[in-house]
Formats: sequence, C-alpha cells, structure tokens
Amino acid sequence: MAEPLQRRSRAGQAAAAQLDLLAPPAAVPLGVPLAVPTAATATAPEALAGTHELWLAAYLPGLAFEALQDEFTSTGPRAVLEDAERSPRVLLVDEAARRLGIRPGLTLAAALALSSELEMKVRDVSRERVWLERTAELALAYTSRVSLEPPDGLLLEIRGSVRLFGGLEALCRKFEAHCHASRRRPVCAVAPSPLAALAGARAARALRVTSMARLAGALAPLPLAALRWDEDTLHRLASVGVRTVGEALRLPRAGFARRFGPARLRLLDELVGRRAAARRGFQAAERFRGRCEPDYELESLDAVLAALEPLLIDLEHFLETRQRGVTVIRCQLRHRGQPPTCCVLRLALPEARAARFAALLRERLGTLTLAAPVRRCELRTGPLLPRPLATEVLWHPGEHGGDGATAESLALVEQLRARLGRDGVYSLGLYADHRPERMIHSVEPAVGEAIRGQVPWSATRRPLWLLAVPQALRERHALPVYDGALELVRGPERIETGWWDGAEVERDYYVARDGRRAWLWIFRERAAPHRWFLHGFFG
Amino acid sequence: MPGPPYAELHCLTHFSFLRGASHPEELVTRAHELGYAALAITDECSVGGVVRAHVAAKARGLALLIGAELRLVCGLKCVVLATDRQAYGQLCRTITRGRRAAQKGSYHLERSDLESGLAGCLVLLVPEGEPALRAAQWRDDARWLAEAFPGRGFVAVELLRDGLDRARLAALERAAEGLALPLVASGDVHQHARARRRLQDALTAVRLGVPLAEAGWRLLPSGEHYLRERARLAKLYPPELLAATLAVAERCRFSLDELRYEYPREIVPPGETAASWLRQLTEEGARRRWPRGPSDSVRALIEHELALIAELRYEAYFLTVHDIVVFAKSRGILCQGRGSAANSVVCFCLGVTEVDPARLATLFERFISKERNEPPDIDIDFEHERREEVIQYVYAKYGRERAALAATVITYRPRSALRDLGKALGLESAQTEKLARAMQWWDGSVIDPERVREAGFDPDNPVLVRLLELCRELMGFPRHLSQHVGGFVISAGPLEELVPIENASMPERTVIQWDKNDLDDLGLIKVDLLGLGMLAAIRRALALVADYRRRPFTLADVPPEDPRVYEMVSRADTVGVFQIESRAQMAMLPRLKPRCFYDLVIEVAIVRPGPIQGDMVHPYLRRRTGVEPVTYPSSAVQSVLERTLGVPIFQEQVMQLAIVAAGFSAGEADRLRRAMAAWKRRGGLGHFEERLTRGMRERGYSETFAQQIFQQILGFGDYGFPESHAASFALLVYSSAWLKCHEPAAFTCALLNSQPMGFYAPAQLVRDARAHGVEVRPVDVGVSGWDCALEERPNGEPALRLGLNRVRSLSQAAALRLIAARERGAFRDVQDLTERAALERSDLEALAAAGALASLTGNRHLAFWDVAGTERPLPLAPALATAAEGRPLLAAPTEGEDIVADYQALGLTLGRHPLALLRERLAADDIIPAAALAEVRAGAIVRIAGIVITRQRPGSAGGVTFVTVEDETGNVNIIVWKTVAEAQRRVLLESRLLAVEGELQREGLVTHVIARRLTDRSVLLGQLVTRARNFH
Repeated sequence: MAEPLQRRSRAGQAAAAQLDLLAPPAAVPLGVPLAVPTAATATAPEALAGTHELWLAAYLPGLAFEALQDEFTSTGPRAVLEDAERSPRVLLVDEAARRLGIRPGLTLAAALALSSELEMKVRDVSRERVWLERTAELALAYTSRVSLEPPDGLLLEIRGSVRLFGGLEALCRKFEAHCHASRRRPVCAVAPSPLAALAGARAARALRVTSMARLAGALAPLPLAALRWDEDTLHRLASVGVRTVGEALRLPRAGFARRFGPARLRLLDELVGRRAAARRGFQAAERFRGRCEPDYELESLDAVLAALEPLLIDLEHFLETRQRGVTVIRCQLRHRGQPPTCCVLRLALPEARAARFAALLRERLGTLTLAAPVRRCELRTGPLLPRPLATEVLWHPGEHGGDGATAESLALVEQLRARLGRDGVYSLGLYADHRPERMIHSVEPAVGEAIRGQVPWSATRRPLWLLAVPQALRERHALPVYDGALELVRGPERIETGWWDGAEVERDYYVARDGRRAWLWIFRERAAPHRWFLHGFFG
Repeated sequence: MPGPPYAELHCLTHFSFLRGASHPEELVTRAHELGYAALAITDECSVGGVVRAHVAAKARGLALLIGAELRLVCGLKCVVLATDRQAYGQLCRTITRGRRAAQKGSYHLERSDLESGLAGCLVLLVPEGEPALRAAQWRDDARWLAEAFPGRGFVAVELLRDGLDRARLAALERAAEGLALPLVASGDVHQHARARRRLQDALTAVRLGVPLAEAGWRLLPSGEHYLRERARLAKLYPPELLAATLAVAERCRFSLDELRYEYPREIVPPGETAASWLRQLTEEGARRRWPRGPSDSVRALIEHELALIAELRYEAYFLTVHDIVVFAKSRGILCQGRGSAANSVVCFCLGVTEVDPARLATLFERFISKERNEPPDIDIDFEHERREEVIQYVYAKYGRERAALAATVITYRPRSALRDLGKALGLESAQTEKLARAMQWWDGSVIDPERVREAGFDPDNPVLVRLLELCRELMGFPRHLSQHVGGFVISAGPLEELVPIENASMPERTVIQWDKNDLDDLGLIKVDLLGLGMLAAIRRALALVADYRRRPFTLADVPPEDPRVYEMVSRADTVGVFQIESRAQMAMLPRLKPRCFYDLVIEVAIVRPGPIQGDMVHPYLRRRTGVEPVTYPSSAVQSVLERTLGVPIFQEQVMQLAIVAAGFSAGEADRLRRAMAAWKRRGGLGHFEERLTRGMRERGYSETFAQQIFQQILGFGDYGFPESHAASFALLVYSSAWLKCHEPAAFTCALLNSQPMGFYAPAQLVRDARAHGVEVRPVDVGVSGWDCALEERPNGEPALRLGLNRVRSLSQAAALRLIAARERGAFRDVQDLTERAALERSDLEALAAAGALASLTGNRHLAFWDVAGTERPLPLAPALATAAEGRPLLAAPTEGEDIVADYQALGLTLGRHPLALLRERLAADDIIPAAALAEVRAGAIVRIAGIVITRQRPGSAGGVTFVTVEDETGNVNIIVWKTVAEAQRRVLLESRLLAVEGELQREGLVTHVIARRLTDRSVLLGQLVTRARNFH
C-alpha cells in the first residue's frame, strides 16, 4: 500500500491557504532556530544529557485508510469517507485520488464528480482503534513504556532504549521500517516532553529534540492545530493573529489563561516541559488465551469440561473488565501421539458469561469423539467485540416469529446449531414480494428479516410446498395436463412484478385439480408462447 | 370488438401524488379512444387534476365526472361523485375540511364528516381485502352507506384478477342484499395504459421511501389498474354491473363550466352599484391626473374602457385591485401595477399604475377579450419586505374562507426524477447523486444520454436504460403543491365551495388545489401580489434624499427626461439600476443609446428571449442606427409598427398585426396570444399559421412577410413582454437611473439596505459607488446605525456610512441596544461597550470581525484580544479590575488577512480589491487587468482573470454561457461557447477565481472575451468568501 495520504484538517487547510499570497506567512520570531529538522535533514542526534524522559511520538496520518486497506478491491483511486449517514465527506485519499483533484473535506457528490472510478469506504472507528492497538503491540519491541494516544497516535518512552538500538536515529529508522513492513506509515518525532513529541509528529515534522533547552525554540514554528485543540479555541487564537506555538507562548500568561482557560496554559507548560505529564501505559494482548495442563490425563467429557471451567471463569473476568464479548472461541485439546482435537464455537452474538460458554462447549464437545485422552487444554478467543446490552432486540415482539423470541429461544437455536452444525438449522422466512418463489426462503435464524406491512391475504392462499423450479406442463387442447387433464378451480390470480431486478414474472395463477383430486398450483405465462407450469402442491 | 357501454367511476391521475401514473389528459384521451361513455376523475382527497381533464374532455367531447377518492380514518374507502354545482361545493368543502384538519400533504376525515357534508353527492363504497375475511365488515359498511346516503349509495365492484374475483362478487352481492344499494363496476384505475405498470410500481416505492426490492406487498400485484377495453370488461363483469355505471354517470350532471366567479361585494359602499362606484373613482382620478380635464381622446378612451368593463361586469375586479392599492399607499408601501389590464386609462386614474396610457398605444381589447369570457389580469408589485402586510390585509378583509393563494404545482425535473427513481431502482445514493449532479440548471427537462455518459455511466446499461425510460415518463409529473408567489383568489361566497383549500407549509398560509393555469382555463380571477426589491430600494432612496436635502422628495419629484440620465445609461453605467443592470442589457445599452422614456420601454422589452429568438433585435438596431431604411409593407402595418421602426417588439404588436394584416378579430388575436404563450408546452399553433398566412395573402402581403411574422410569433413564445409591462418597468428603470446619476450615495445606501436584490452583491455595489466618487465609510460602533446611512462631508455632498446591518451574524436586537446605549454617551472601551449594551460574546466577535471596533481598540487582532477578555459583569458585582493585565505583543493583520476578514464579515471591503494583491503573480502568467483591455486591438488573444460575479445561461442563447468576472480595475465580460463550456464544464461551474484565455471582441463600446481556455485559479483566493450569482 501506502502512498502518502492526505488528511482532512480544517485548521491545517486554513493555515495552508493563508500561506498563499493573500496572507503571507507570519514572520518567524527572532531568536528561534529557523531550521526545523525534518526526516530528510535530521541533524545528528545530540548527546543525550540529563535524566529527563525522552519520548518518541508516532502519528498515523493514514490510520483510517490503513485500518481498512484490506477492504479495498482496487488499487486506486481510493478514499475513506467520514460518515455514511449525514452528508458523507472525504476523510482520506490515496495518491491516485489526489492526482484527480479529490481532496479531504469534499462531499461525496463532489468527489464522485471528479472520478467515477473512485472506490470509497466509510471509516470504521473501532477498526482504527484495533489498528492502533496492534501498532502499540509492535512498539512494545522498542520499550516497555508505550501509551496509546487515540485516535491516531502512540508515545514510546525511549530514553532507556536509545543505546540499545545504536542511537536515536537508528532507533527511529528501525521503528519506521518495522511499521512500513506491517503496512503503517507513521510520522515520528522525538522530544523530551510527550506532548511536544506528539505535537511535532502531528504537525508532520520529524522533530529530533533531545534537550529541554532547545525544546521551546524547536516548537515555536509548529501550528497550534498540531495540539488538537478544539476548532473554536484555534479560531479564537487565530483571530488575534496567533497561529503557532511560538506566538502562543509569547502571550501574557494571565491574559492567556483568562481568555483561553488555565487548562490550556497548563498544556502549554507541559508542552515545553515546564510541567510533567503523566501517560498511562499500554497493555497488549487484547485477546484471551489460556491453557491448563492437568496433573493427569483427562478421559471423559466431564473431566475436560471441569478442567476448562477455571479458564472460562478467567475469560469471563477478562471480558467483564473490558466490557467486551466474543463470538468465536477455539478450544484445542492436545493428546499424546495424536493430532490435537479442535473445536470452534461460534456464537450469534458477543457473549461473556462463563456458564453460557460451558453449556455450549458441552453440546459441541458432546458431538465429538476423542481420539485419545487429553493432556492439555487451550482456549483462545477471536477478537473482542462490543457487547449489545440485551439480546432481546433481535426479534422484536410482534415480528414474524418474534413472539417469545427472547434470549432463551436464541439460546436454543445456538444449542441446536452447536449440535447439528451450522447449516442444519435455519428458519423459513416469509419475504415481502409478490413473486411466489421469492416469498418463501430459508434464512439465518438469528438474522430473521423483518417483514414490513401486513402479509397480504393472497399469501395465505398459496401452497407452502413450492417447487424450486416451476415445472413445464404438457398441453392438450390448449389446457394443461398433469397426471391427466387439469381442472381449473380458481383463478386467475394475475402476478406481474419484479421487473426491476431482472427476474420479472408475468403470470396468471390458477388452483387446479388433477385426476386423482390432488390440488395443484399452476400458472400460465402472460407472454407468448403462453406456456403452462406447475409451481406447487397444496398439502 | 368494442363491447358494452361503460363509464369508469374510479380513476386516479398523477394528482394523487405518487399513486396515479398518468396525466389527466392521457386518461381522458384513452377513455375517449376506448369509447367510454364517461370518465370520473377521482383523485385522493383532491380535485387537483380535474381542470386539465376538463379541458381535454371538452376538446374531445367526453363526459367528465368530478369526484374524489376518500379514505376515512376508520379505514373505509369510498369514491364521492358530484351530481351538480351544489354537490360539487359540498365535495370541495369536505375535502377542505379533511385537508385543513391534517398536516400538509395528508387529510383526516371521519364518517360523520361524510354524513353531514355530502347531501347531494353519490357515494361509492370501495370494499377492499379478502372476501372471506371481510364479508362481515363489508356488510356493516354497506348498511351504514345505505342509511347515510339513501338512494345515493352504491357498492363498487372492482375485479382486478387477484384470484378472488368470483368470491368478491358473490360476497358483495350478499353484503348489499336487501339494502337498495346497487352494485356498479369500477376499475380502481391508476394509469391509462398497461405500459405504465413499471412507473406505477416505481412511484409506490418513491412514496414509501424504499427501493422497489423492499416495497414488497405494498406494490400492486399486477398492472390491471388501467383503463381496460370494454370487451375485456364484458368478460369479467355481469352486464348489469356495467350498465349500472351508466346510470351513475347519468346522474352526474355537473360541469366545471358552471363555475362562475363572483366578486366580493364589500368594495362597493352602500347606495352605490359597482359600476357607479367605479365611474366615480375613475372620474376623481381623472381630475387628479389632469387638473384641467382630460383631452378628448383620453375622455373617449375612458368611456370606451368603462363600457367594456361594464359589459363584461368586471367592475368589482378593478375595485378590488383599487382597494388593495389604496391600502398599500395608506401605509406608505410603494407599489405599482402591471400585467394585462394594468395599463388602461381606468387603472391610471385609479392610481394602480403611473404610466399615462395616452403616451402608449395600448390595445385594451388585448386585456379584456369580449368574445372569450376571459378575466383581466393585473399584477401589483409591492416593496418586497412589506408585501406580507398587504397579504395579511387581504386575509383580514375577506377572511380565510374567501381569500387564498393559488397553488404552484411542483413537478419532476431531471434531477429530482433521477434522484427519486434512482433510489427506487436501488442505486446507491452516491450513484444517483452522481447522475443528478451531471444535470445542470441549464439542461432543461430532457436527460441527454451524453450527460449520463459524462457522469461515468453507460446509458446502454439495462439499469440505466430502465432508469432513463422511467425518468422520461415521470418528467412533468406533479410532486406536491406549493404556494404560488402571490396569486390571490378572492371570492364573494365561500371559496371552499369553488375549490378545496389546503394547508401550505408556511404557517398561517393556505393554498387552493389549482394553479394559475387551471384558474386561467376556468376563467377565474386572481390578483397577483408580488414582491419587488427595487420598489423598496427606491422608496428608501427617496426618503434618504428628502432627509439629506431637507426637502420633500417623492417619485413625482424625479425630473423627467433628464439628458444626463440617458447619457449615463447609454454608457451602460448601470450597476444597480433596475432591469438594465444585467449583462445582456448592458451589452445592448451602448448600441441602442436610449434618449427618451420610450427608448427605455423598448430597451426593457427587446432584451428578452422572445425578441431575441424572433430575430427582432438586429433589424431594430440596424433601422435605429440608419443602416437599414425603415419601410412598411402597408400603411395599416405602419400604424402598428411605426413606434418600433417597423419591427414588432411587443406582444400586442403581434396581435395587432394579426388584426390589421390578417383580418383577425380582437378575440381571435387574443386566442393567438394565449396559444403563443403555451405552444412550447402544448403545441397547437398550426391552424393559426394557416389562418395568418391566408389572411395576409388575401390582403396582398407577400408570402415572405407572412412567414416572417409567423416565425416571429413562434420566437415570441412565452417570452414576449407586453408593452404595458415594459412601460411599468421602464418607469422604475428611469427613476432608479436618475437616483444613481444624481444621488449615487443615497441610491447605493438604499440598495444596501434592501439586500438581497438585483444582479450585484454589496461588494460590487460599493465598489461601483466609490468609482463614482462616493465616499464610503466603514462600520464603526461609534457612529454606525443599524441601516447604512448618509453623513455630511465638508463639501456638502453625502458620504455613505455602512450600517451595523452589514455585519454578518450580528443580531438586530443587539445592534439596537448598542445604538441606544451610545445615545447616552460614547463608549470608553470594549468593556464599557459590553456592559452598557449588554452584548453577548457572539455579538462582540461579530463586531470585531467586521472591524467595527477599530475606533476603540485598533486593529482586528487587538479587537479580538479585547473581546476575548471582556466579561459580562454579574448584576451587582463591579467589573473585575483588568487594568493590571499587560497589553500583548500582537502582530497586526496583513492587508490580505484584513481583506479576507472584510469579505467574511461584511461581504465587501473598503481596502484594495483582492486581485490587486495577486496582480504580481498573475502578471507572471501574462494575465492583464481588465482596464488594460481598452488598449488591446480587437481579435487579439488576451489572458485575464477575475472573481466570478455572475454566470448566465439564457435559454435563448443556444447554449452560450455569459460569465462576468471582476478584478481590481473593472469587470470583464466573457462569452463561453457551448463547446468550450462542455469541455470545461467543471472549471466553468466551480471556479471562484477564473482565468480566461481568449479572443478580444469589440463592437462599439462593448467588449467581450471569447473564451478558448478556462483555468481555475481559486486556490489563490485562500479563504476569501466570494459569491457568484447564477441565472437562467
């Protein structure tokens, strides 16, 4: 992947636009080093002095894109959209899209107007979070002190690691290369205060500042937008002509605090290291793994289940503290001299309760035959998912099949599926369509489609037993024959519909009786050559 | 095989919005073709489609029944048919009741409403559902019907091949048994032909707001809901049910022709008749207009008009208009009449108009046609901000039962059709948006496959084929009713017995179910009360002048025929002047060089699509400049065309030509005018062509001349200006031009206070005023009032002070508090201002952004710093001592930042034009300023750039787009031919700063650049807020 991505940032745009002739760039204040180290021109790291912390900030400007990159089917132009519902706007674009003039902030319609090939995905915040966490896991290879800076940043305290990796620059290069290899494009900045490092990275400047003494000067040219203050504050600061960190630092402290709040003054102090800032550490492993090696080999299902029970309780605790649930649990039972027995539990909804897991495992394992006694049990979960508050919401009371469709009946379905297999259980769905073949079909039990409006009375007059494919009937004297001449008892019921999806029907249906007094449902095509077909049997 | 006679009693048009899938005309035509004995139009709780059906049925000789389908709150569905005028009134009243009791677009009716309100109507019960399940319900409903409408109730049997036809018929026979309720056949018609089934399905999906795939059982199962052949019906229905339809139709004798408009009576004082009162008012007016008495010819004209009015009994109409005008004048609301009857002497005497018809050769027959029972038409323009007062006066005087606005039927256009149908067909919103976006405001009502291709779709793709076909059918279908801008219907009796009234979306507004054309077709009268911004601006300018010059100054005090005004106009120095400020008008002025009032009348009328398409402009100009001799084929024609040098320019000239050269009667000529207005929509000028050329040949005119006149008539179409209209407008043109010429400060001030209006934004108006030597002073909390105002300069001339009303997002209430506080003493600083005027933070920021605090704080940055530091004190606590706080070292805003901020907060700047700052960069690309064009020879290739201020694509210009851009030295007019526009559509449409390379073209004083290549340089503007106005 990964061309440089353009992120939408109003403040950033404003700053960029202001740089045009109408507003020449504000003069850089005197006394501030003009050269800002960038990735290309990064100066050799100065000797590490003092005992303060040293922070590496990694900013992922393309996070929203990276998190979805497997979803894209084309190689460009591609874009990630902000929000599908309310006037979607472009959030990120790839290089191909940028060349077409598609810019972050455009409305969907405007972007489409520029390119009809544009492939678009709506951002997925939860996947971004996971992506960021994975990045943090990766960063744990460089220091034990990693903290998440959602939505799109990481902080690594690297003071202790610099020597280990052969110097600051080497560390940074290695980390970046590591990220690139796992399809991430971070912007990295190093500074003695965490906020400064983060601001540097978010301003897309590869700061390498290691001494407190140089920090304020290095930060001065950064746009205030890099601090991620709210638009209103940035706007108010811009309206007094203050757009950079340096300009903000030169304002009178009391006056600044009164106008923009003491909290922001404290942030400025943290930024330049006048105040310490605490970071919360990141813990990896956001999946559950557990295993148990009993002292003796387990020979019965009950024994296996008993051995699994403490693991399941751990899992419940693990999930509860994170307010999450899982839908997939892999249970591996290892034997001596035999390949392990695997059993995968799939649930319709995220679940966290140990008792439910135990009950389902009992059903599932009951269908298996163990090749040999079990020496070791391992439990792994799929990704953690947010848990719905109540399971009842799936089937609303009053919906077709909905009455009493509570957690219990869902549990029953899961139990049946655990025993009969995934495809063994399905529902007969009634689908709102005049075409008989569309009206009745099989559906996933947990995802029963709601039927809107009232079931028409004609639907109640149709046979439940429909042929999968209507069967052509022979004709005698222009009348259909099936096991003898057919008598048309009722009809016609004219059905003309479905033209919009390429499966148009134009038929006259009749209820017919054959020689053996069986009741058939037949139709005649409205279009030439007006053939007759058998479509179903009445019970 | 025709089959037995049949009358369809249950038929929806597309006025049952998103249900009916055919036009009323299509249904009538088809019913007639099928040999139906009659057709009932029964839209759901509406008579919206009946006028169109009536006109079509009359033309074809089909008996038309008027009715409505009603679904009651209890679920019962029925069809109500009007038997006579009285029953029709009951139907309208019932519909009104249902509509007024519910939200716009829906209705609420109960059985009791029908029981009490439909004493003369026939009522058909329309039973729905599964016979076996509903039999008991049907029996109950039938019993209710038989009791509530003895002798007038029927049971509709609708056999639509749903598989239960036989069972239904049997169940209904049982339900009606012993109740004296005849069974009648009917068809629940939704479309005139089977072929509309798909559109009908799609409409259902649109109505439900879901894609077709999700519409499910709410779609009709089959396409049987069409006008079926009688032979087919004979196979389905027992003969007596078909015969029963005729019996029902027989009893419905009502025709819309019976609707006679009755005028309100309260406008005539006791003891007077309408005629005597109109005569008295006219005589009074004549004495006012001609203190020494009217001339003999005027006297004769008055008598002629009064006699015609009396003969057609239109006195009350003129009195109604007079009454409204008198009210407006009593409130000091400037108003002026125009329209077909406005320029009669009677209207002049009544004060409805100011144009002395003796100076114009008006043709009064044109306005009131003796042969045709057609009403006169007067539009009255009011100051746009005060029109509501007049509307409320009308409501108050006549009551809501008797006064209502005409409807405007909002119909499907390409974009809306694509959006709705695209969604119905399951296209993603992104895709439909893409398609809809490809249609521009100038693309008209056809969808060009090329546009579809341009949007990246294959027009041959089956889904697209389906979509485009449905769009073609849907185009012109009504979507909903909206209110007409100002067309009032006022009646003597309750209006709701004439036409149903429903709620408009605006609170306190109601509309009738018919639009302007429907009213015209039925000969009902309406008065158009319209808002006109220029009237407000003129009144304001007059008041400013009177105040500044300390003498009374009204419209009557504007000196007539001032040569300096005509000189200015001839230079096309007309930014802000009514009508002739448009790009096209400005291009015409230096060629036409108006020298007198009548030239202005011509100027207003000639730059119209009609004369342009009729190719009248160039012959007129050639004759006016003496390049071509002025000749007439006969003296009769000379009498008609002399005032326009032999070229017909006004609508009435075309009619008069038909009279004098082709022997039309006045009434025939009037029909020609109406056909002219409608032929683009309906066609049908064919027999006039024949009649016209024959008449001219008989009178010795050449075939060429006849053809030329006919072509001119075609070109005129909808777009010709009547002379009277043009004359009314020309008065405003002259008055506003005089003000601009002699009182530019007052004029600009008034325009600014009347925004939004006209072609130009405040930025251009102010720039133009400064170019004319008006000193414009900035908004200042120390001196500015709410409105822009005049201040005295040392040289005695006025300066224009921008008002607080220019400051974006400053509330008027806050501004008024500020002004009141200032009257008690000047402000010391921002804190003082905040406290005494009780300003909110947002108000202060608005003022700071506008630079209005400069006198208290210095530059904008300091202003914002002060504003951010001010606090509203608690009621009792003194303000916090802030003296100790240091003054920050803030860099002053750059000139560019100030200009951007000016545009953002005020919409204009008193600083340099933004392009002045960009000039150096533009010059590097060989781009020259507008002023430099004067030095360039015609035919040279030039590069210019400017902020786009208008884009115009007139329908008459064959796809040419006119763009005006502005730089620091002036405006440049750019012509973009269709090929360039198509190739660079996006740049043309989206640029804010447009660079153009093209050929310089010069014709007299008029300079254009013919664009070859367009470049979007908007990025150079940064955050600058610009606003272009796009026109058709």
